[in-house]
Amino acid sequence: MVSRMAQYSAQLDGVFIALADPTRRAVLRRLGHGPTSVGDLAREFPMTLPSFMKHVRTLESNGLIRTIKSGRVRTCVLNRERLALVDDWLAEQRRIWTERTDRLEQFVTDPKENRQ
Amino acid sequence: MNSDLDLGLERIIRAPRATVWRAWTDPSRLEQWWIPAPFRCRVDRLDLRPGGAFVTRMSDDGAEFLPHLDACFLAVDELERIVFTNAIDSAWRPASPAPVAMTATITLNDHPDGTDYRIVVRHGDPEARAHHAKLGFTDGWGTVVAQLAAHAEGMR
Repeated sequence: MVSRMAQYSAQLDGVFIALADPTRRAVLRRLGHGPTSVGDLAREFPMTLPSFMKHVRTLESNGLIRTIKSGRVRTCVLNRERLALVDDWLAEQRRIWTERTDRLEQFVTDPKENRQ
Repeated sequence: MNSDLDLGLERIIRAPRATVWRAWTDPSRLEQWWIPAPFRCRVDRLDLRPGGAFVTRMSDDGAEFLPHLDACFLAVDELERIVFTNAIDSAWRPASPAPVAMTATITLNDHPDGTDYRIVVRHGDPEARAHHAKLGFTDGWGTVVAQLAAHAEGMR
C-alpha cells in the first residue's frame, strides 16, 4: 500500500505540473474536442515547433495525453483517466475516512472493549 | 463546507461516548484501528492539547515503521471534540503533505443508541500546490477539468 500511495501521489503531482501552464491547458482543451495532429496543434500556438514539442512531451510524460504515430503524422489523444485523478483524490480521502470509521466502530463495539 | 474540497461523515456508533473517546485518546487502543490491517500502527506521539503532537507510523512487517502522519492538534475538548491538521507538523513547521493538507474535526455527542460521531475533513486547495511551485498558474485547473468533463460528456 505504501508504494501504491507513493505512486498515486507522484501521478497526482505530475498531473498538477502538467496543468500548471497556460499552453498545456489550452492543448488539453483543444484535445477535448477530439484527437489532433501535432502539426495542426502547433499552428494554433504562437511559438516555435521545438518549444511546442516540449509542452507535448510534458503532457505525454505525465500521462495526460497519448501520441500515436501513423506514417509521418503524430496525433495527440487526451487521456481522460489520468485527468480523472484530480477528481479522484477526494473520493480516495472519503474512502480512507469511511474505512477508518468502520474500524473504530468495530473496535468500540467489541464486548471486550466495553467491559469496564 | 466546500463540497469540492471537504468531506463530511456521520455515524451512530453503538458504544458509549467514553468508549469512543478512549479509543481515540489511548495510544494502545488507537493503534488497533487507525491503520488498516495487515499494516501495523505505532503511535509515536499523542499529545492531546492544542499545539500538541500527533505522530503515527506504519509497518508492513512489524519491524520497520515508516512515517504515516505527522500532525498537530488544534483543539481537544474532553469527550467532545478533537481537531488536528497536517498543514503544520508536530514541531509546528509548515508542511506540504501529499496530496494536499487537511484539517480534521471529530465531534462526539450522546445519542440514544450510543454515540453520534461526526467527521469533517477540510482540505487545502490542490491548486495552491502548483502556486507554491511557482509554475505560473493563472486560470486554475478546476476550470480546465470542468471544461474537459463537459467536452467528454458531449462526446459520448
